[in-house]
Amino acid sequence: MSGGFALFLFTLAAAFEWGEFMGWVNVPLVFVSLGIVGVGLLVWWRQDWSYGVDGKDSMHLWEPKSTGTPFQNIDIRKVALWVFLMSEMMVFTSLFSTYMRYRLGIPNCKTVFNSGDWVEGTAVNCFEPASHLIASSWFHLAPGAINTFALIISSFTIVQALRYAKMKDIDENVRRKKVTRYLGTTWFLAVLFLTLKMIEWFLGFPLPEFMHEFNHGDSTIKSLYAEGYLINADHYQHHYYDTHYLESHGGMDQDTALYAMMQEGTHPGGHMMANIQVSATTFYVTTGTHGAHVFGGIVGLTYMTLKAARGGYTPDNAVSIEYFGLYWHFVDLVWVLVFPFFYLY
Amino acid sequence: MAHYKILGQDPYWMNFIGLMVLTVIEVAAVGIELGTTITLAILTVIAIPKFFMIAAIFMHLYGDEDSGILTLTALFPAFFIIIMVLFVGLTHPDAASGLPDWCRPGNYGL
Repeated sequence: MSGGFALFLFTLAAAFEWGEFMGWVNVPLVFVSLGIVGVGLLVWWRQDWSYGVDGKDSMHLWEPKSTGTPFQNIDIRKVALWVFLMSEMMVFTSLFSTYMRYRLGIPNCKTVFNSGDWVEGTAVNCFEPASHLIASSWFHLAPGAINTFALIISSFTIVQALRYAKMKDIDENVRRKKVTRYLGTTWFLAVLFLTLKMIEWFLGFPLPEFMHEFNHGDSTIKSLYAEGYLINADHYQHHYYDTHYLESHGGMDQDTALYAMMQEGTHPGGHMMANIQVSATTFYVTTGTHGAHVFGGIVGLTYMTLKAARGGYTPDNAVSIEYFGLYWHFVDLVWVLVFPFFYLY
Repeated sequence: MAHYKILGQDPYWMNFIGLMVLTVIEVAAVGIELGTTITLAILTVIAIPKFFMIAAIFMHLYGDEDSGILTLTALFPAFFIIIMVLFVGLTHPDAASGLPDWCRPGNYGL
């Protein structure tokens, strides 16, 4: 599966460069890589029933235990999942360290703007954190904030699904309903997460008329795409960096070098243009990688919810929910760090 | 599943409520506009307990028979994470301009 994912990323990168379609040559390889991932998923899925003593419908399920030090008597699949999660942690750490290095190493766009060290019509290299757009109002922040609560609630619902699946003194029908409801709720929250992500990235959303005044008179909440926050944005312009706009809206900071220079007549002001490719790329790659993990979770949850609806979970095989839960909590764990440092700060 | 209680209550419910409260504080801290440094400090201070609450209680790194060894497993990559964060992420402020041309803004045409 890992090899399939790697091939998928490489071939997709070859098929699209800066959002431009580069021809059909690499497209077959994209599908081959997806096929490899699919086969990997199928093998993984089969393992869900492969430990029945009497075949896949066996009621006598067992979980292979590790025999070697230091994991003696611990379920092998549980240990493997933890090792997998730690490798995942390394992936996200590399993304975080990249973000930190660039964030600290490249001057912030607001700092550059206020310093007056720019000329209208020439792009400057600076770091524009996505939070500058997202945390600019409660409306912009809403999708990310709702997503945070959605993931925390989903972490709780998956634990509840496991609890009822493991309960021994409970009617089979009650167990089936409870586990299905909790897994279904988790599935719904995961889908909600990606839907809001699409709204935040590409779609934006309209506001009812009575709310326009709370949104600076605008009728819509613009998506990051509509704001021009793109990985190939080398001519990014935003009204935050337009002295004419700021002066007419009373937003010009008078304690800045730019303001002093404009007063002295040594800076004409105008609309700063910026190259924000690095900041946008770090944002989209990190949050996109996290989103891909949520999508993977939805695939797993779809199968598990359908299985639960057929009464497929008993205390004997509830470990499947436990292992998926570990993965899902990890997705939540990463979001706990992504949300404040990419969306709020 | 957990065999312990938090303040006499179900640990998962308590953890869930705690996480929700911390997240509300987190979002409110940004909305109130306390300044960059204070906001960053609050976000960091809140993210750390949230991280541990999920890992310890929801992921069962606390309270189960195998919690100890699995916690050590989880901590194993910590060394590499420290290296990456401290020596890559937090290198000197001019680090980005000291990078080779091919990984600096405006020079990605490999």
